[in-house]
Amino acid sequence: MSEEIKPRILKINVLRFDPNDKNDFPHIETFEVEEADGMTLYIALNEIREHNDNSLMFDFVCRAGICGSCSMLVDGRPTLACRTLTSKLGESITLAPLPLFKLIKDLSIYSGEWMRGLNERLETWIHDKEEELNFDKLEERMEPELADEIYELDRCVECGCCVAGCGTIQMKPDFVGAVGLNKIARYHLDPRDKRDDEEYYELIGNEDGVFGCMTLLGCEDVCPKDLPLQSKIAYLRRMMIKTALKN
Amino acid sequence: MKIIYTDVLIIGGGLAGLRVATGVKERGHDAVVLTLVPPKRSHSSAAQGGMQASLANSTMGEGDNEDVHFSDTIKGSDWGADQEVARMFVHCAPKAIRELAAWGVPWSRVKKGDRTAIINAQKVTITEKEEAHGLITARDFGGTKKWRTCYTSDGTGHSMLYAMDNKAHKEKIEIHERQEAISLIVDDGRCYGAVSRNLMTGELVAYVSKATTVATGGYGRIYSVSTNAIICQGIGQAIALETGIATLGNMEAIQFHPTAIVPVGILTTEGCRGDGGLLLDKDGYRFMPDYEPDKKELASRDVVSRRMTEHIRKGKGVKSRYGDHLWLDITILGREHIEKNLREVKEICENFLGIDPAVDWIPVRPTQHYSMGGIRTKYTGESQTLKGLYSCGEAACWDMHGFNRLGGNSVSETVVAGMLIAEYISDFCDSHESSMHIHSSKIEQALAVEKAKIEKLLTNTNGEDTYVLRRRMEEIMMEKVGIFRNGKDLQEAVDELEELYKRSQNIEVHRSKSRAANPALVNAYRTQKMLKVALTVAYGALLRQESRGAHSREDFPERDDENWLKRTITSWPDANQTLPTVSYEEIPIGNMELPPGWRGYGKDLTKHHHATPGRQATVDAIKAQLEKDGADRFEIQSALMPYLEKLPKKYRGINERLGENV
Amino acid sequence: MKKKKIDKTPARLDFIQSASGLILGLFMWGHMFFVSTILLGKDVMYNVTRFFEGYYFFGESYPIIVTIVAGIVFFIFIVHAAVAIRKFPSSYKQYKIMRNHIKSFKHDDTRLWFWQVFTGFAMFFLGSVHLYIIMTNSADIGPYASADRVVSEWMWPLYILLLLAVEFHGSIGMYRLALKWGWFEGKDAKKTRDRLRSYKYAITVFFLTLGFLTLAAYIKIGIEHKDNVGERYHEQSVTVKGVQQ
Ligand SMILES: Cc1cc2nc3c(=O)[nH]c(=O)nc-3n(C[C@H](O)[C@H](O)[C@H](O)COP(=O)(O)OP(=O)(O)OC[C@H]3O[C@@H](n4cnc5c(N)ncnc54)[C@H](O)[C@@H]3O)c2cc1C
Ligand code: HEM
Ligand code: HEM
Ligand code: SF4
Ligand code: F3S
Ligand code: FES
Repeated sequence: MSEEIKPRILKINVLRFDPNDKNDFPHIETFEVEEADGMTLYIALNEIREHNDNSLMFDFVCRAGICGSCSMLVDGRPTLACRTLTSKLGESITLAPLPLFKLIKDLSIYSGEWMRGLNERLETWIHDKEEELNFDKLEERMEPELADEIYELDRCVECGCCVAGCGTIQMKPDFVGAVGLNKIARYHLDPRDKRDDEEYYELIGNEDGVFGCMTLLGCEDVCPKDLPLQSKIAYLRRMMIKTALKN
Repeated sequence: MKIIYTDVLIIGGGLAGLRVATGVKERGHDAVVLTLVPPKRSHSSAAQGGMQASLANSTMGEGDNEDVHFSDTIKGSDWGADQEVARMFVHCAPKAIRELAAWGVPWSRVKKGDRTAIINAQKVTITEKEEAHGLITARDFGGTKKWRTCYTSDGTGHSMLYAMDNKAHKEKIEIHERQEAISLIVDDGRCYGAVSRNLMTGELVAYVSKATTVATGGYGRIYSVSTNAIICQGIGQAIALETGIATLGNMEAIQFHPTAIVPVGILTTEGCRGDGGLLLDKDGYRFMPDYEPDKKELASRDVVSRRMTEHIRKGKGVKSRYGDHLWLDITILGREHIEKNLREVKEICENFLGIDPAVDWIPVRPTQHYSMGGIRTKYTGESQTLKGLYSCGEAACWDMHGFNRLGGNSVSETVVAGMLIAEYISDFCDSHESSMHIHSSKIEQALAVEKAKIEKLLTNTNGEDTYVLRRRMEEIMMEKVGIFRNGKDLQEAVDELEELYKRSQNIEVHRSKSRAANPALVNAYRTQKMLKVALTVAYGALLRQESRGAHSREDFPERDDENWLKRTITSWPDANQTLPTVSYEEIPIGNMELPPGWRGYGKDLTKHHHATPGRQATVDAIKAQLEKDGADRFEIQSALMPYLEKLPKKYRGINERLGENV
Repeated sequence: MKKKKIDKTPARLDFIQSASGLILGLFMWGHMFFVSTILLGKDVMYNVTRFFEGYYFFGESYPIIVTIVAGIVFFIFIVHAAVAIRKFPSSYKQYKIMRNHIKSFKHDDTRLWFWQVFTGFAMFFLGSVHLYIIMTNSADIGPYASADRVVSEWMWPLYILLLLAVEFHGSIGMYRLALKWGWFEGKDAKKTRDRLRSYKYAITVFFLTLGFLTLAAYIKIGIEHKDNVGERYHEQSVTVKGVQQ
């Protein structure tokens, strides 16, 4: 006598707001969705859009946890919605857009603009000596372990979860955040980038940079790519102090 | 009304688009990139496996060079590719990868000494050369003679795209994100940019440019299950089609990837099999050696996908509520290997399946994966029929993939094509030809047309529901225009798609009426466009009465060179027609370096072209003569099919390799 | 290219904050052990006091030594507070943002930080009072004098609060110090962090227990000694072994 397990009826509470609509104001709207096997928030939200409210706005691109588009607050915790299985959540699920970033509508945020600003501010690209490179020649060698180490930090998907999980940056929006510090750690490690320690100090040796981090570690705990943010920030802090002392 | 002028408009911020942008900027032209999402979120970031370039650094790649890469690519394409373009590509791939290395991609490197690898379910020891230590290494990928696929752990596309986007930041390239090109501006047979809709505010903007590049990626999302990102909807191909002038090539050539997880269709990289993973059936039996004793799991993608489908049809699939599937077993690679080299796969298994791939088998089945077809271009990337319109990357049919592309050749194409086409575009912009003669009233008119279309969608009454049409289209494509195709199903598909297309002209956006950020509106106009693209695919497939590469007709199992060694060209000259116009472009055998032959999978069912033996004889004779004269491989190649002249000067240099030209 | 001179102040401030915190933290561990010697008996405490007054070096007690030490500690304390104050929410708005963030995010380490700021704020007042009194009354330390201060001079309520504040603040501070600079990180930073956190809890519990027992001991003595306030303690046994030689 096999007993059919009745699927749960999920109550999905979405913080909604359309800044383009003068009459709108932030409010919670609740949708009911019947849970299915292996359901992720991506699937659930699309069902809501298809069957309940086609104006509900959210961002998914790869829907595979790779591109970093779908970060949102799931029950208060920043995470990638596309790879969040509903079975790991309670019956009532609250979704809200990540704070700090400009809101486009409902769960959709303009994180791209913010990240571009960060990249420009920290100049997150290889600063090579301005010599003409010849790509017919063998590539420059690199120790295999070092390449792996750089890749390890290169894995950041700019999802902004670490930003949403950092109290410091909420209070002080000029702080670069873990995502920025991680990028600096990545380029500092890279022998192809010819910036010296003083130049890095110029970028992050201040209260908006590494010395602004109060080691709250929300970043480390929410990063969906498990980047070693705590270690790398600590490393940068030591390095920056050394640079200042040496000078 | 907002109008933005620039030299080069680039629609698409993936690898291809960004490489074009940096290239033209370097040549001193202004560039604006339009993209639906921040460039770093483009679909290119999902490429895990790697990029092909014949560096020949690792021991298993020894002896590799442009010639081998070329022959793999042409065979892979089932002789559908443009051989000159393929030559240009293989010649520049090593340069492109070295350039990316300089821009910051942390390519995985060769480590000297012994290491163990799994080849053909067997542990083997590979000894890497001392002199290769620290150079870019490569892994095995389907359909290649040598280990040629360079990678960064399991995030190749991600690293490439990040390096590329950062380079674009460095060059201060203007990137306008959340801008969707919804039509191309055409006047007097020339393309002058695009009308774009701001997805945040709904504002329509005209971008007017000397040259316009469509680099919008593939169109996989016309299928209900696809490994593609959900923004790969073929809008770029659609707006080209809607000009009535530009043409699309080989739209029916759709690749299915053997190993996407069930049910969601997320890809597990080919690296799984490249590194030694096996395909098993419901009895845990390894079936691929029965079908392909030679290449086994590492036969070309289309072949493996078909073999899997065949095997499932024999009742050997594992039953599940989402349909039958097979198993991918990577447990034999060991936890350490999986956690280091296949971490993304591990994450996907944990997050989407709740399993641990170091102990559990992964449920997989073939799933739509890549669009070989696209905007048909000349080797310069310019549309064959619409001046000023360029295209590259997955969006284009530049045509180095023919009817099947090799794994790892696609991201490689994006950067190589981007690099070359940027030069051709720059040449065009430098020439007198590029001066603009468009009247501003034309621009305003283009904007007005798009505005009216959107108003109609929002104000229509008693119209069709977008979702109904969209879902049906996806199902039809999946069921009737899938891995195995036949005349009856295809006819039904074309008929029903045409019906859906007609209905789509009467879509009404229900409930959600905002003119600004409005997903329902977006879905509505995209569905109209996607239906056009779907029709080109289904119709092209129906007409092509042969099997070639990924296009596999059960009713025409043989490859028919005599009648079908040609490209399918589709266009939509009249906005009122409900089916695309189809014509064909011959693929001339007379100048082929590698005349049509057998790909080497299954039984040879090829019906050869009458000109093939003649060309083969010519090729053999030239080779024999030159070899006798002691000519080197470059001289022989150039005697068979010269192509260097076509390349921009700065990319003509001979590639260095260990032991060759160093 | 001539290099711009980098501004070293932020680095210095961060260093000073941590160094002062570390010194204070270590000092407080020592302090709690010394003060708690009362639990081993009045004699022991008396001798410890005399030790700090230099009795065993000079053969005579110089409370001025304690005054000087307390002065130094007070100075470090002020420097630490002055530097650490940068980290306080600088407006009500910021404070509110942080409160809301903590409420919705429910993240342990962020909460810990909040407690540290809160206790630090409390110590502005509590700590200053205590230090000032000790500095100015350095002669009045001893089994009876201290107990009298605790009970008859009504210091016990302040000590309860100060004890709570300093123990939480100190142990959280030491834990965060280790993470902040990556000490003891080892191979697996996440595991290390878990371990450090359990140490932190253990240390808090240990010192709070010790502190309250100590305080209880002073209160007991203080109540017993209530009628003789002002009387100084003298050793019962006149000879102290090992000192006579
Ligand atoms: C899961 C997966 C794994 C893969 N792995 C590999 C691999 O290992 N090796 C390999 O070689 N290939 C691989 N591929 C294929 C390869 O990733 C793609 O073919 C390639 O990245 C396409 O790059 P692109 O620049 O042409 O397009 P994309 O990266 O898709 O970029 C398209 C761009 O166009 C923009 N866009 C689209 N429409 C519009 C519009 N209307 N207006 C404005 N902008 C628009 C988008 O925002 C985006 O920026 C893989 C593909 C998939 C699906
Ligand atoms: C007026 C008294 C005090 C105030 C206002 C104060 C304030 C603070 C603040 C706000 C911080 C957090 C700094 C940050 O987040 O980066 C801090 C850190 C710290 N405090 Fe205090 N504190 C005081 C006294 C003490 C005392 C008495 C001790 C000794 C137990 C102490 C030990 C520490 C330690 C070890 C740290 C960590 C240092 C760091 O993070 O760099 N503090 N203090
Ligand atoms: C050199 C400096 C210091 C000296 C000499 C000193 C000395 C003492 C002494 C003698 C006592 C016992 C009670 C008394 O006599 O009043 C005491 C108790 C106490 N001190 Fe200090 N102190 C110093 C600095 C500090 C600092 C910086 C703090 C924390 C900010 C502090 C916190 C406390 C607390 C909480 C108690 C009560 C402990 C208990 O009863 O458990 N002291 N101190
Ligand atoms: S560091 Fe982690 S959390 Fe932060 S943006 Fe990068 S991937 Fe996201
Ligand atoms: S949460 Fe914020 S304060 Fe530092 S450790 Fe992470 S950046
Ligand atoms: S949609 Fe790409 S990470 Fe979620």
